[in-house]
Amino acid sequence: MPTIKVNAKEFCRFVGKNMSIEEIAERIPMLGVAWEGHSNDEFEVEVFPNRPDMLSVEGLARSFSSFLGLKKGLKKYVAEQSEYMITVDQSLSSIRPIIVSCVIKGLDFSNELIKSLMQMQEKLMLTHGRKRKKVAIGLHDLDKINFPLVYTTTKGNQKFIPLEFDKEMSIKEILESHPKGKEYSNILEGVEDYPVIVDAVDRIISFPPIINSEHTKINETTKNIFVDITAMDVKAAMEVLNIIATNFADRGGKIFKVKIKYPETLVYTPDLSTKEINLDLKYANKMLGLSLSAEQATEFLKRMGYDAIEIRKDVLKVQIPCYRTDIMHEFDIVEDIAIAYGYENFDAEIPEISTIGGEDQLEAFSTKIRSMLIGFGLQEVLTFILSNKNALFEKMNLEEQDIAETANSKTSEYNVVRNWLLPSMMDVLARNKHNDYPQNIFEVGDCVELVDNEIGAETVKKMCVVLCHSKASFSEIKSIVESFMRNVGLEEYKIEEADHNSFIPGRAARLVVKGRDLAIFGEINLSVLEKWGLEMPVAACEMNLNWLFEEMFK
Amino acid sequence: MHEIQLHEHEKRIIKFLEKNPKSSYETIQKETKLNKDSVERAVLWLKLKGLVEINEKSKDFYVLTLEGEEYLKTGLPEKSLLKTIQSGINSIDELKSKVSYFSIGLVWAKKNEWVEIVDGKIQITNKGKEALFKKTKDEITLNDVSKSKRELDKESIDVLVKRGLVKVKQDVKRDVNLTEKGKQLAKNIKLTKEISQITPEIIKKGEWKKAVVRAYDVNLPVPKIHPAKRHYMMQIIEYIRKIWIELGFKEMTGPMVDISFWNFDALFQPQDHPARDLADTFYMKQPEFGKLPNSEIVQAVKSAHENGWTCNSTGWQYKWDEKIARKCVLRTHTTILSARTLAKLRDDIAKDALPAKYFSVGRVFRNETLDWKHLAEFYQTDGIVVGEDVNFRHFLFYLKRFFAKLGFEKARFRPAYFPYTELSTEIEVWHPEHKSWIELGGAGIFRPEVVKPLLGKDIPVLAWGPGFDRIVMLNYKIKDIRELYWNDLKQLREAKLWLK
Repeated sequence: MPTIKVNAKEFCRFVGKNMSIEEIAERIPMLGVAWEGHSNDEFEVEVFPNRPDMLSVEGLARSFSSFLGLKKGLKKYVAEQSEYMITVDQSLSSIRPIIVSCVIKGLDFSNELIKSLMQMQEKLMLTHGRKRKKVAIGLHDLDKINFPLVYTTTKGNQKFIPLEFDKEMSIKEILESHPKGKEYSNILEGVEDYPVIVDAVDRIISFPPIINSEHTKINETTKNIFVDITAMDVKAAMEVLNIIATNFADRGGKIFKVKIKYPETLVYTPDLSTKEINLDLKYANKMLGLSLSAEQATEFLKRMGYDAIEIRKDVLKVQIPCYRTDIMHEFDIVEDIAIAYGYENFDAEIPEISTIGGEDQLEAFSTKIRSMLIGFGLQEVLTFILSNKNALFEKMNLEEQDIAETANSKTSEYNVVRNWLLPSMMDVLARNKHNDYPQNIFEVGDCVELVDNEIGAETVKKMCVVLCHSKASFSEIKSIVESFMRNVGLEEYKIEEADHNSFIPGRAARLVVKGRDLAIFGEINLSVLEKWGLEMPVAACEMNLNWLFEEMFK
Repeated sequence: MHEIQLHEHEKRIIKFLEKNPKSSYETIQKETKLNKDSVERAVLWLKLKGLVEINEKSKDFYVLTLEGEEYLKTGLPEKSLLKTIQSGINSIDELKSKVSYFSIGLVWAKKNEWVEIVDGKIQITNKGKEALFKKTKDEITLNDVSKSKRELDKESIDVLVKRGLVKVKQDVKRDVNLTEKGKQLAKNIKLTKEISQITPEIIKKGEWKKAVVRAYDVNLPVPKIHPAKRHYMMQIIEYIRKIWIELGFKEMTGPMVDISFWNFDALFQPQDHPARDLADTFYMKQPEFGKLPNSEIVQAVKSAHENGWTCNSTGWQYKWDEKIARKCVLRTHTTILSARTLAKLRDDIAKDALPAKYFSVGRVFRNETLDWKHLAEFYQTDGIVVGEDVNFRHFLFYLKRFFAKLGFEKARFRPAYFPYTELSTEIEVWHPEHKSWIELGGAGIFRPEVVKPLLGKDIPVLAWGPGFDRIVMLNYKIKDIRELYWNDLKQLREAKLWLK
């Protein structure tokens, strides 16, 4: 989740109140921002992905100021008409079709501001822009650009000087060797014509979503800026544009519209108009367990940057600021009322509903089985469900078979889902060679088997008992198995010799109920012990509890 | 003579001394089977009562010093020197490097007249040749001392003591003997038979009636044993299950490998949501794709994502892809079970199935590289309350009650964000020992875009899914999260019971 670093002094200036870092740390989490820590004058917070408008000092301060009751209510922003224009070429429709833009004038740039701008730009592209794939942002010095612009495509050998470089590079070179090119080249994979923004003197000012040109770079002398936003999705592009435009406006900049000529349509961006949503006050009170009046609800809404008027009894027309991107449903408004009310101010209340609780039958059965196994003097262990083929097959003397397997595991030690428990138990023994024997252990745990159902896999509960000491033997494990079966009351079973490579030939048996092998038990093959590095005899039993459960209760 | 009160131990010692005059403490201890402290205590009392006298006798004896012990193993240096010369080496320089303790050896060999130095070379004398083939007196005595023999060659011992190979030690022997008064008394003491190990025989035959069962020293150490028991994590899981059941929740379970549809889409997570990234989610190679459930639910979920369906919502406004929803994953949260449960409840709504409360405790998976803070699989406990009249304050009640039962009286709720809830909160509990807030995970009220497509009706559903690894780790003072699954048997055997 994205975090941003904020200069506390600048933040307080925007909030309109001098506060200590401690006071900010105390209050800001209740707005829905996670406090990450601070050093000297700078603090760090995590902004949740539903509020990209708070990914900058301006936006964060704007929300916090109204939350504290300092600058309440809807903040209106206007964009003036202008002659700036971008023409969009037909060729982009299948590559990166959307561009939206605005111009901001009258800014006073400092190094501090440039740093803060870069942070906002990077964080917005990372989150709302899905690592630039969905939305990418370019900021330019307006006065170095000759309008009108064309958003078009070009070939890989086209050259220009990219940001932070002093020589020309071709598009291909940028993708192969420029740090940003390498990082984001995957977005343009398979593309032959590359998106570029070209100005009236045929100069490439941007190669979205990768890099701007050095020529239009912003520095401390910049007064006016040009914003380009390219995207796959018009909604996300407009949202990001509004967030950027309003942030600049909060810094005293004046917003101007840009005319964008698509092949079939003409639009003016940004659109800073407010949206409206009707809030049913009864619904809000019902969800919150409160009985707020229209006045109270309006006051709380103002603290979250909205305006509201009661249009008829118990219905508020709520005006949503243009930088909010997350309002889909009136419930979103209800949540903001709750935040303004303060989560800490709600009293917990016992609901007047009665229900009857109960365990899942198989889980309840498993719990009973576990307590019986404790009675045999077996210590319960708890192991990972993830495993690897080497442990499940090679080290158990078995041929590899198809099992549930992950596609993208970060570690090769955990890239399949186990289909039986015994290898996990062997691993426990192998880790405990320094501890006292006997080591008699068990686990009742989940395994996954491939089956022909709607998922293609099934979770199966299994039980594994392992005896490891100098006299561990077939007869000892058989005693436990038979005692187990007597205690669960299932005595109609057969014990047949088993042919299983994990066990010593002639010392392994199957427990068969109605033609199904419920369990296998016996003495572990000496070559298996060798592979796990064990020097103590091991006898074990593995049982399918799903099947046992079926036999007994279905 | 007025009667003298005697302790059972004292009686036994008197009776023993009657037959064995002048016995040492050790003998008394051995023969009466009393421990050392008891014998010392009893003898002291007997002396005060004038029944015994204690004679101290000291005797010299000899033991080897460290140097003596070394020579016992390697031979005396003068002998080693002789042997080396015999093997053909006779230059002093060479011998210096070959023979350990060369100078000591040379001094004694010369004293014994075993060698003489001619032209810088050492030669063996006739006396020396004789000495080569037999054990010298000093060697024999050294050996005798090591075996604690009593008869020792006086002359040789003096030499060895002087050489620092043997030292003198004093052995103090204390003999206990009955005084006349003691002897008189002894005649009148009758000892009852003493039983140490009780056997079925003794019980059956009633022998114990004529005997005394020997008292034990109750402070003596005994072997350390450990019961077989539940893994501490499982003890806590059982406890958590019990809390939910007491609060009237029914248990839900479900598959570990499931389709993305239930894990993400049904929970209104847009298909390009960062949580669905390869970096966080285990996608399956086998099985790769599953089948979607009945199309009514799928269509509703699709529309909820694309345009809000009939939920009065705008939805995410993108084109929903069925194939992405069919991708199999290892479940990333147990909230998947809540989604499946809502879909199952759909058919029972009419049959008074509501209000309903469900919980689960289960393993979930995240594609993490394991380190002291991260695991690729861990537990979560989910809960839902489905009811027309439930609200945020009820939600706070269940969570506060749950954590109070786990021993955390103070819980707080910060606003947070999850794509499938509103009034989303991050739960934190106050750990009084650590004096800090512990973050445990998320909760909220399911969005209408989640509930309506699954349940068929927009009804409030309170929902939560905190983890509890941190609680277990703090309780058992575990610093490295991987330890929870290491199954070190020593740690498991010694772990205290979860007693909440």
